[in-house]
Amino acid sequence: MTVKQRLKTAIAGLVMTVAAVQSAQAQVPGVTADTIKIGSFGALTGPGYLYGKLPMNGIEVVFDQVNAAGGINGRKLELVREDDRCDPAAAIGAVKKLIYEDKVFAIIGGGCSNATFAARETLVEAKTPVIIMASVHDGITTPVAPNIFSTALTSSLESAAQLQFALDQGAKRIAVISMRDAWGRSRYTPLIEAFQNKGIKPVLDEEMAPDANDATAQVLRLKAANADAVIIVLYPKPAAIFMRDSQKLGFKPLAVGQTGIADPAAFEDQVGSPGATASFRTISMVRYTPEDPAMEKWRKAIEAKFPGDRLSVFNLFGIGSAQVMVEGLKRAGPDLTQEKLVAALNGLKDFQTDVYPGGITCAETDHRCHKSPAWIAKEPGKPVRVLSATKAE
Amino acid sequence: MVLLTYLLLSGLTTGSLYALIALGIVVVNKATGVINFAHGELFMFCGFVAWMLHVQMGVPYLPSLLLAVAFGFLLGVMTDLIAFRPLKNANIISLVLATIGVAFVLRGTARVIWGGKGDYLPFPPITSPEPAMIGEIMVIPQQLAVLAGAIVIMVVFAAFFRLTRAGKMMQATADNAKAATLAGIRVDRIYMLAFGTGAAIAGAAAVLMAPLTLLYPDMGFAFFIKGFAAAVLGGLTSLPGAVLGGIAIGIIEALAGGYLHSSFIEVSAFIVIMFVLVVRPTGLLGATGLRRV
Repeated sequence: MTVKQRLKTAIAGLVMTVAAVQSAQAQVPGVTADTIKIGSFGALTGPGYLYGKLPMNGIEVVFDQVNAAGGINGRKLELVREDDRCDPAAAIGAVKKLIYEDKVFAIIGGGCSNATFAARETLVEAKTPVIIMASVHDGITTPVAPNIFSTALTSSLESAAQLQFALDQGAKRIAVISMRDAWGRSRYTPLIEAFQNKGIKPVLDEEMAPDANDATAQVLRLKAANADAVIIVLYPKPAAIFMRDSQKLGFKPLAVGQTGIADPAAFEDQVGSPGATASFRTISMVRYTPEDPAMEKWRKAIEAKFPGDRLSVFNLFGIGSAQVMVEGLKRAGPDLTQEKLVAALNGLKDFQTDVYPGGITCAETDHRCHKSPAWIAKEPGKPVRVLSATKAE
Repeated sequence: MVLLTYLLLSGLTTGSLYALIALGIVVVNKATGVINFAHGELFMFCGFVAWMLHVQMGVPYLPSLLLAVAFGFLLGVMTDLIAFRPLKNANIISLVLATIGVAFVLRGTARVIWGGKGDYLPFPPITSPEPAMIGEIMVIPQQLAVLAGAIVIMVVFAAFFRLTRAGKMMQATADNAKAATLAGIRVDRIYMLAFGTGAAIAGAAAVLMAPLTLLYPDMGFAFFIKGFAAAVLGGLTSLPGAVLGGIAIGIIEALAGGYLHSSFIEVSAFIVIMFVLVVRPTGLLGATGLRRV
């Protein structure tokens, strides 16, 4: 074989190899030789933007840092955003667009629980790997869907953690005040189960509507029952009314919140009654407040990428979930497929991120990968502080 | 006794807000025969306008209230021009759908403008936020301010309808639009005035309520439902009935929550309304439908 013939053979072989590789990649949605397309859905508009747009901003700064360091196996990460407006129908539409029109490789998303829960069936059918960033509804991860993982706490984990926290603080007469809409029931039902598992009963079980403007009746009943701790399963609005009226009526129990009230500083403003939130404690999915020096790197990144924004706890949700996705992509290797990513995520054991209180552990039988709630509080006139991190089961 | 006093006070405060919302609904319905389903969103929008003026621009509370009321009036006039006047000869379903359309536009606009500034916006109290003792009763001064403000606004609007020429023309049009036309009253203007006045009352209610609760773009419908229930209980065409209905609903909710269970708060008023309407279909103070000849 002459040199010329050898050269021709080598070039032909190279062309065939490149064609074969490109053909294989063409069958993997959202992956090219130098990019990986990741989708995200959540509220970009409306009041739910806290759980959508802000985590997405967090994802984007993680992707920027990964891309600046050369990407993952030479591929840069691209984020495609879709607005679900916290609306179940819109969430289904957003997910379908990401999967079938934008052809994303994987998804990090899910802000409002009910919207994400509605999109679950579409996600399961498409088999696109998904990491839930903020939605807490149990039905999203239970029963286990092979392709859906969550780095958010789930409502049943939070409910159990609320009760345990009250008991750990020495509370003897624990009461419950809850909303009974879909969101409230997804937390209330496992909370009552947690009471039953401990062999205790709430001293009083009160309700409040999401749009309530007065909690005098509930507070008077709780005060008469002599409750020393109240587990709050309310949105920030009714919870603020409840705390204000508790202050008004001189009722000062340990008030135990959940991630629906994730920002104690904003909550203090919403309550608007000096000292009313002094005994309020709530769950955070992350172990740092945005002001913590450990978050300096991410604070700078958010402020540089989104001028006018300040680092928020909701950005941290996105940062943590994006770091988990990046780790999964790295472990899936250069010959990327969705099956390999799912297998890599299933193999995560005690993976440490910059933000979550504990390690991220996923298993084929349990995709609730985050089980470490942190407890936070804000005393009047002082910054928000992290009290402790616990383990929930 | 203390428990009862607390519950009555809280019911009276909440009820006076329902009464103000009901008043706005009744003013429009009395004059035009239409329920303005955008009333809750007009209420919400005026609340945000007041928040923008007072919190963001530093305008004092009272001028903010007056400007929000004026803005509410303009929004009401626009509702008439856009959703009522072009369709006034259409069937009632079209009119209702038009007001629902206005509601969606207002809610969407509020979401775009104010939806991204926090999930629930606090409005600073106009009085001291510290609870105060009156005898054995602890009250939030803001609650008393709301109660007083609601009473003042009701009295002002009652005077408007009884003492002013415009108010009397609105009453005349409501009683018989054809006769009013024959008497030289320009009913189109009266309809416009009714929509404007109804929305102005909604604006006043929103600014009074804002420091007691929180503002968010989706708040309008919940308040509308309570106001509508109060208006139905009062008779739907009776202004004193709207006030009575609102206060009755507020007090029923508080008593049911305090003496039965908090799960009865939301349904108790509606149970009473059903009972009242079965016994007296025209509501507490509604017209009986009989006409003297």
